[in-house]
Amino acid sequence: MARPHIEPYVELNEPFKKFDIAGFKGSHYKVLSLDVDTGACTLKVRFDGGYKRKPGLSYSDLEVFVLNGTLKVGKQVWTEGHYAFIPAGVALGAVECSKGAEALVMFNDSEPTYVESDRNHQLALTEAYVSVNSYEDRPWGPGNLVSPSVASGCLIKVLHYDPLSEALSFLYCMTPQFAQDNISYHDSAEESYHIWGTSWMMQFGELPTGGYFWRPPYINHGSFRCKYGTIAFGRTDSVLFNYFHYNPWTNPDENKLRAAAKLYRARPQLFDWVASDGHNHPHGPADFQYTDYQDDPQIRMLHGKKVGGGASAGKSAKARKK
Amino acid sequence: MAKRVQDARPARSKDVQAWVTENIAEQKKRYAAIVKEQDELGPDREKWVAEFLQIVQTKGFNADGDRRVVIKPEQIPKKPKGPHKVIF
Repeated sequence: MARPHIEPYVELNEPFKKFDIAGFKGSHYKVLSLDVDTGACTLKVRFDGGYKRKPGLSYSDLEVFVLNGTLKVGKQVWTEGHYAFIPAGVALGAVECSKGAEALVMFNDSEPTYVESDRNHQLALTEAYVSVNSYEDRPWGPGNLVSPSVASGCLIKVLHYDPLSEALSFLYCMTPQFAQDNISYHDSAEESYHIWGTSWMMQFGELPTGGYFWRPPYINHGSFRCKYGTIAFGRTDSVLFNYFHYNPWTNPDENKLRAAAKLYRARPQLFDWVASDGHNHPHGPADFQYTDYQDDPQIRMLHGKKVGGGASAGKSAKARKK
Repeated sequence: MAKRVQDARPARSKDVQAWVTENIAEQKKRYAAIVKEQDELGPDREKWVAEFLQIVQTKGFNADGDRRVVIKPEQIPKKPKGPHKVIF
């Protein structure tokens, strides 16, 4: 069932728990959402002053967003607003935290994993690595990145884009007095954490600072209001398309049918071909440009397929090299 | 088949499996609390929905960006029987 619908969840008053997994000892965590099949998760992690970790890699794609404090990562210094996408198998430099820091830490493919290593895994997609201070190094853009678009007053900074799944990670803000009078849903799951500010949705009420949601595809949300402004970190797990409507009572099955009806109208040849006998291939059709896209872990996860975990336990990257 | 780093992930150790199991159990409790909280919001939500349906008939609904379309009364959907579910 992947991750359940967690909306809204305000974590600020919930206690941190001691993080006793390799690579995280000396830190504390809260689970914001967790995939019950794969262990993929979004965590809020508190790195206590004095936290140290040797260089290492994860078997999962990893995203980090620093909420406050400072982390020294290899030769870089990650401060408030720093965002990193670390592809599975990319060795991250030693991590040190002298005075404490809090971050959103997202494992996209599995439960938290860490193997001590100062070298990348031979299969690591190193070119996908991103490390940027989202507050200082990226400009705000209008929300009309996709069409149909959100109303004026919702701005976005794209931090990561997956060329295969079209998944996005981004910073967004709603200006004071932002309003959007429609109901929206998407083909993708959507996730958000409010760094600061309160917004309101007609279904769920207010989402304040520290508010979080993981919303599976095709679930209604909106209309929208934001009185004093909000800044938030958000993600989708595949392409973000805004299906807008004004029926408050539709359910995800009805919304999915409406999405399929759009495909039927807008891409009739493709719809007929996919629906016809023998073409709805369980592993996805061939793509001459991306010939092995079916093997991409993010694509497999979107289709509920198994990702990794079959080798013998405890085998480190160093051991594999030997 | 192209091999990915993720496929080389070792099987979960007992400690990690215990971590996953514990946190799945806690997430189930959080989910139940959210469902309860959202059910309790029902009366407020009914008012919000009524206001929304009024707005889309007067100011209009945001069809794309700031472009608004005013919805005619006969186009307003009828509320189905049963509770208005928002968590799935």
